[in-house]
Amino acid sequence: MSERKKLGFFIERWHFFLIIPLLIVLPFLTPHHSLASEMLIFAIFAMGYDILFGYTGLLSFGHAIFFGAGAYGSGLILIKFQAPLFIGLLGGIFLSLIIALIIGFLSVRRKGIYFVMVTLAFCQMFYFIAFKWTSLTGGDNGLHGVPRPSIGTFNLDSELHLYYFILILFAISLLLALRIVHSPFGRTLQSLKSNEDRAKSIGFNTDRFKLISFLISAFFGALAGGLYALHLNFVPLETLHIMTSGDVVIMSIIGGIGTLYGPIFGAMLLVYLKNLMSGWTEQWNFIMGILFITSVLTLRRGILVELKDRFFPKGSLWKGD
Amino acid sequence: MDIHFLFIQLFNGLVLGSFYILLSLGLTIIFGMLGVVNFAHGAIYMLGAYAAYTMVEVYSWNFWVALILSPLIVGLIGMLIESTLLRRLYDLPHFYNLLLTFGLMIFIEELIRIIYSPIAKPFSTPQDLLGSVDLGFMLFPKYRLFILGITTFFAIGIWVFLEKTKLGAIIRAGTDDSQMVDALGIDISKIFTLVFGMGAGLAGISGALAAPLQNIFPYMGMGILADTFVVVIIGGMGSIGGSILGGVIIGELITVGVIFWPPLANTLIYIFMAAILLIRPRGFFGRARFFE
Repeated sequence: MSERKKLGFFIERWHFFLIIPLLIVLPFLTPHHSLASEMLIFAIFAMGYDILFGYTGLLSFGHAIFFGAGAYGSGLILIKFQAPLFIGLLGGIFLSLIIALIIGFLSVRRKGIYFVMVTLAFCQMFYFIAFKWTSLTGGDNGLHGVPRPSIGTFNLDSELHLYYFILILFAISLLLALRIVHSPFGRTLQSLKSNEDRAKSIGFNTDRFKLISFLISAFFGALAGGLYALHLNFVPLETLHIMTSGDVVIMSIIGGIGTLYGPIFGAMLLVYLKNLMSGWTEQWNFIMGILFITSVLTLRRGILVELKDRFFPKGSLWKGD
Repeated sequence: MDIHFLFIQLFNGLVLGSFYILLSLGLTIIFGMLGVVNFAHGAIYMLGAYAAYTMVEVYSWNFWVALILSPLIVGLIGMLIESTLLRRLYDLPHFYNLLLTFGLMIFIEELIRIIYSPIAKPFSTPQDLLGSVDLGFMLFPKYRLFILGITTFFAIGIWVFLEKTKLGAIIRAGTDDSQMVDALGIDISKIFTLVFGMGAGLAGISGALAAPLQNIFPYMGMGILADTFVVVIIGGMGSIGGSILGGVIIGELITVGVIFWPPLANTLIYIFMAAILLIRPRGFFGRARFFE
């Protein structure tokens, strides 16, 4: 590989190399280390979701299923079998992918808003199953006592250690997601979003591409879910609730869909805000409702772009913008 | 098994189906006209229940007055929502309006929780409709029969309205091509507001009707919204016949399912939905290319 090409690798991913150092110091900037972990977990969730929503143009209200299945799957394996950490996480991801395969196969048969309704209905179904199956999931009380096994000699009991473990997985996820969206496969997904009929007439099996995109986003969601179980040492039933699906949608919208970095930013911002208003936890959903309405009405391109355009209209910063 | 019990459950299935029919009819006419899947439909149903609760239980008004006023109030709120919020997003991809109504759902539910507290409230059956009627082969509560009657009335009424009146013809035309109707000199934006108000009013009356059958609480709309989505997925969006058929099937599946397999009666409807998606992805009466 020539020097130039090596440099190109860094230039193409300059955002990545800009934010990783920031994230290394993040836990020292937040009120407590575990908040930083939660911010990164939802960033992974939103990043994967963006591949489906932002790049493929499929709005799913069922992604709580994959987040929840990852959390419950990993949690159960870690509790029942005292399994090593990676086996637990992989088990959660595996469970999630199986569910995603079935739901995806059924729901990509419907387009547009029908897809939204089908995914929402399945979300309600899984919430209901976890709620009723108390002996396995703990029902309304959630799944308690998820352990954090050490990786070799690296102990995850400290919140800071867990954060850096999550950060490594976040960095790998981000590189993977960047690789996916900039690959020919990712370009095909974007072509589905702009004109599915044309993509189909060129000869792409669009349903299969949609299904793979669905699976990829479920993979990221399940990873985030498994990490969430580790982070809390417990899996709340709310992980499977439709509101969790709503959370990841609003994180994506506020951050700006179809940019990967936008939803990451949106997720971190929202989790941070939620913590900031912890005195008003009871009213958080009310604030979420208002945020949802205002951001759909005014922040559709993401908060950063909208703010920049409001205060620095086109051309005011540098010519040719 | 007791055959008598099965009959009662079959009838109860029709009653439950009535709510699904009223809700999915509203959802379907809004969707057909505006292209908006109203996620706030469940929250609006809950508003109808709380409107009736406030009139009957707080101010001790007559139940019949509440039954007439609550859908009107809720319908007006719906028209306000359409003309101030939804209207801004019609030119954008459909999912923005869908997300807006999702935000409205959260907002309305939380607002009601703050005003009325999250505790479930009892609602008594109206005096005039207490007791049962002997149908010859079984006794059935008067109030539930009344629900069946009122649903039949609304289902026929909507069909007559859409098929036989001039306004109905405009709405049907708007469902096919609203821009063309606008170009013909009809003020389509007024029709949009009216249709949204009608759909909201239907959700409002089903909420008011449901109140005496259960305790009311701020999140009562979420579960029934998901069930109503299953109804329209099975029946086919934009079809009155589909709403009725889907509503009856889902109502019966839940109430009869309870006899055979209590813990999973609610899961049964999703399994049925999955089967329909496999065999007939558009549902029973779904039209090809309709907002797809």
